Amino acid sequence: MKWLNDDRLGAIAALRRKLAASHEVAPQADGRRGGRDRLAELVGGTIERNRYGEFLRVRRWLAQPEPCTQPQALGLVAKPEPAAEVLGEIGRSDGWLFLDTETTGLAGGTGTCAFLVGLAWWEAGGLAIEQLFLRDYAEEHAVLLALAERLEARRVLVTFNGKSFDWPLVETRFRLTREIEPQPPQAHLDLLHPARQLWRLQLGSVRLTALERGVLGIERGPDLLSELIPQMYFDYLRGAGPEPLGQVFRHNQMDLAGLAALAGHLARLLVAPEGAEPLELYGLSRLFERRGERARARHLYEMALDAGLPAMLRRAAQRRLARIARRDGERAVANSLWRELAQEDPEDTNAEGSAERRELLETILEACEQMAIHYEHAAHDPAEAAAWTRRALGVLAEAEGIDRRFRLRWQERLDRRSERLRQGGREGSLPAA
Amino acid sequence: MASLPATRKSISQPAPLADAVDALVTRRGTGAETNSSDAPITAIREMPERQADWREMPGWVRQELAAAYRAKGIERLYSHQAAAVEAARAGRNVVVVTPTASGKTLCYNLPVLNAILENPDTRALYLFPTKALAQDQLAELHDLEERLGDAFAVFTYDGDTPGDARKAIRERGHVVLSNPDMVHAGILPHHTRWLRLFENLRFVVIDELHTYRGVFGSHFANVLRRLGRIARFYGSDPQFICSSATIANPGDLAERLAEERFDVIDEDGAPAARKTFVFYNPPVVNRRLGIRRSYIHESWRVAQEFLGRGLQTLVFANSRLQTELLLTYLLQANLAPPGEPQTIRGYRGGYLPGERREIERGLREGGLRGVVATNALELGVDIGSLDAVVLAGYPGTIASTWQRAGRAGRRSGCACAVLVASSAPLDQFIITHPDYFFGRSPEHALIQPDNPEILLNHLKCAAFELPLKAGERFGAIEIDAAATALEQAGFLHRSGNAWHWTDEAYPADAISLRAVTSDNFVIMDTSGGEPEAIGEVDFPSALATVHPKAIYLHDGNLYSVEKLDFDDRKAFVRQVESDYYTDAIRYTQVRMLEKAAEAELGEAARRTHGDVLVRSQVVGFKKIKFFTNENVGAGNLELPENEMHTTAFWITLERRLVEGLPYGVAERQAGMWGLLRALEAVAALLLMCDRRDLGRVIGERPPAPGAEAPPAAAIEPVPGKALEFFEPNLYLYDAYPGGIGFSEPLFRMARELAGRTRELIRACPCENGCPSCVGPAERGEKAKAVALAILDRLPE
Repeated sequence: MKWLNDDRLGAIAALRRKLAASHEVAPQADGRRGGRDRLAELVGGTIERNRYGEFLRVRRWLAQPEPCTQPQALGLVAKPEPAAEVLGEIGRSDGWLFLDTETTGLAGGTGTCAFLVGLAWWEAGGLAIEQLFLRDYAEEHAVLLALAERLEARRVLVTFNGKSFDWPLVETRFRLTREIEPQPPQAHLDLLHPARQLWRLQLGSVRLTALERGVLGIERGPDLLSELIPQMYFDYLRGAGPEPLGQVFRHNQMDLAGLAALAGHLARLLVAPEGAEPLELYGLSRLFERRGERARARHLYEMALDAGLPAMLRRAAQRRLARIARRDGERAVANSLWRELAQEDPEDTNAEGSAERRELLETILEACEQMAIHYEHAAHDPAEAAAWTRRALGVLAEAEGIDRRFRLRWQERLDRRSERLRQGGREGSLPAA
Repeated sequence: MASLPATRKSISQPAPLADAVDALVTRRGTGAETNSSDAPITAIREMPERQADWREMPGWVRQELAAAYRAKGIERLYSHQAAAVEAARAGRNVVVVTPTASGKTLCYNLPVLNAILENPDTRALYLFPTKALAQDQLAELHDLEERLGDAFAVFTYDGDTPGDARKAIRERGHVVLSNPDMVHAGILPHHTRWLRLFENLRFVVIDELHTYRGVFGSHFANVLRRLGRIARFYGSDPQFICSSATIANPGDLAERLAEERFDVIDEDGAPAARKTFVFYNPPVVNRRLGIRRSYIHESWRVAQEFLGRGLQTLVFANSRLQTELLLTYLLQANLAPPGEPQTIRGYRGGYLPGERREIERGLREGGLRGVVATNALELGVDIGSLDAVVLAGYPGTIASTWQRAGRAGRRSGCACAVLVASSAPLDQFIITHPDYFFGRSPEHALIQPDNPEILLNHLKCAAFELPLKAGERFGAIEIDAAATALEQAGFLHRSGNAWHWTDEAYPADAISLRAVTSDNFVIMDTSGGEPEAIGEVDFPSALATVHPKAIYLHDGNLYSVEKLDFDDRKAFVRQVESDYYTDAIRYTQVRMLEKAAEAELGEAARRTHGDVLVRSQVVGFKKIKFFTNENVGAGNLELPENEMHTTAFWITLERRLVEGLPYGVAERQAGMWGLLRALEAVAALLLMCDRRDLGRVIGERPPAPGAEAPPAAAIEPVPGKALEFFEPNLYLYDAYPGGIGFSEPLFRMARELAGRTRELIRACPCENGCPSCVGPAERGEKAKAVALAILDRLPE
């Protein structure tokens, strides 16, 4: 009973009396408060009205970032892979709508409300921002109607973490009205996922502010802690001054501008990766690989390796490249990569932490296994195949601190191969494991 | 669990069963005096076989559905099934009261599926008290789904449902099987995702209705209020079909829970096996101290009479500890040959789901010959029919006793149930008054949905789900006062004509429907290197069962608790060999907060009910040797306190009464404790509640009415260290936060309570007190006399 911390016993007893006695009428909440009117002035907003009533709207135009010139490139990060007509829609940057909401909590569910709906789109060589704000819960219908109109005009939604947060929340709010049914967007580009692939390794965090600083070179200046936002809104509702909310409006504008800038940067990177940082190149190749664009992925892995990667990523890129080369039937390329990887030192001190050590171990084991497969089935040199298998078994035996299941799985695989090789191919060549 | 064709013949063999009963009747305890009043068997009742009462399949049942049932061997309906489906068809709310396995599931499946076949938009929500029961129903419904060529879709939706399957269930499930906890924390707070279900919700099926009593029932009633609110929001008004085991007030309970009118269908048209019910009282081994032979031992020996003759037997115990003890004994007596799987298993709440499914299957298929269970198996989990049931100790209520006994011979043939009494007062009362048991209707299931603490919690959830409108009713309550209180506490904000949720938290997460706290401790076994989860216990039990140095029993194995990690809610245990187990010592204190009503009780005593604060703490443990039950050591513990605000009834003994007793201080204190113990047993009987629903404690009467009272400490007296009370309050409190409605009836029944308690103590054959009345005489030689002397000073 956290909520009754101060005087829980008294409160319960008092409530029991209240419930038992005839029901008292609650005092009517004060409809208009000073803070409410001063907010419009503070954030430079206007009071709008539609058939559901009033709400507060703020409009801004920013010269930076400039509109994205290769919008169609972002089709590559759309999930699921878009159909041709949707791709066409994504290619028209004037159909984009950036969305970022400020909410009364992160818990989700029907009790979490988006009190500030931030929207943006490319306009007149810059970014137009529109913020729709509930001065009180009663204004939600009016705000949602305005949002539905924007969604109808622009059918490609661009968000940062909007797939799992903003959009489901907004959908819930629409459903709760039982009246306003927005047209669902034709495509929803959530930049969080590509951002994770491209920059998590480099930056550690892929929060929008971290991306702005580390990738776009934008420094926000003073900003608020987003964890404080719900409470700021609650305080405002209960009559506190509007100043903290002014910060929330500003924060939301910066989020929208950052999101738009990130979209432009990402599109440029996808179209022309040549100038990218090695780590970005590695991330891009992963992205292309997942989309099944093997040739581009291979090219980018090679570029990333040429540009120089830290040891862990270098091995990861080599391993992926080797796999693609094998699938493309280029055995020689694959084998030279596997050979190099198979000779890595499992005790390499560059591998920090158990996850990295395990990945290194797995890479070496896979590489040795691939070499053994090559010698057993392609080169028909069972002795060499057995030697690579032995190396793998030796590496596995000396590995420390790995989990039992992992060890058993590899042990079994390698033992089977060794046993077969010992029998010296008497039963003929067996299929690869 | 559908009804079976009437042609099915008895599968049990009467001869060994009759032999086993004969052996029980003729057995005399060695060393016990053999006069007739000591005969261990106090009653043998024969329940005759009953023939099925058939009705034709109604004409409105769609062809394909009738054909599907026919293919399962069901061509006609039992009379109660016919009455239930007709009432449901007519759109009325129905509660069907029949024993388990009398074909109750057809009572709801038939009308629901018929409606879905008529209109595929129709949706139904089935609620079961446990996930296991939902799984059982899933199998039955899948079978029908297959026979009907996938004409409808059925899914379970619970904590185990994988995330990627949830969307399909929300969209496509015609019948969704879930539980109250999931509705509370998973479905209602996300109702917009369940649009299809709520817009078309026509049926809410509540199985095992009788389990929704006490605190769980009070929570559930509020969950149903919230469900009703959401259904109305989407324009639907579902009808209820409920099934219940036999209780005294199924109609009242259904109406209290769902706040709708119900038809009660309680005649049973299903056939029943011939059944023998035996009452067995362990023989007295020491008359002076009133000590009987251990009922755990005796239950073990009774069970062995059945198991030894190859009869499949289920043994019910009343606690985890007793379950594990009995399991240990039975395993030793029925060792499987090396390399063969054990044929005796334990079954209780702490076991993991997979393990439980395996045990249920073992019982159905016959691979298991014996199972020792807690009430976890009392509900309709499908385990087939067994030859014999042994109840180790009175289950606490008449309804529960019948329910457990009903596990024997559920369908046909003949079967036997044996109740073995413990020496607890309630057990002794029942076992020596068989007519009271056999002649009495089962208990009333009581709930208090308007318990303020429970109500407020659910109003928070309701506000999270949809804003609360001024003037709106929540069940019978007009919400304005409560909503205003929540607004003042900062949870809600009033905007226009409604209160909106104004907090970052997700309120359902913090509210458990079943216990004080929702967090369980996971038991981690460290014996094999990497810790492995072997079970879990809820928070309140954790303090008593997995405190450091405790011996924890799980599936017959002994574990020593190495560490109790409060932050991560984990108990680390290691398997050990031990010849003792541990029993926690709990100290309790009470503080009176507010009186609701007070009146005199005779010339020198008063009766009161009101609000109290109860603090309890596990402060140590005893080590008790297996088989001999010797106390072989003890230890101290420092564990956090548990604090609970609840309601209580208490009797105040005024100073002149206490001082007028012709006994010494220590004797008087022992007598008060003994009296309270007997009062508690009788109160449970009068309230027809489970004895675990009540707690007892003595505190000093606060100095002056209305004045700030010093906390009145009360600790179970340690022999020789009795605390002196000048004007004691003998408290019986509701063992749930917020109280569950027992205190006020006790206040009204105070005279009868005192009268019956006097009967119980007077009629007890012991000399100076025994476990069956005021407690063992070691408390003080005079406890029994003092208790009677106090009662003599209260009105007849």
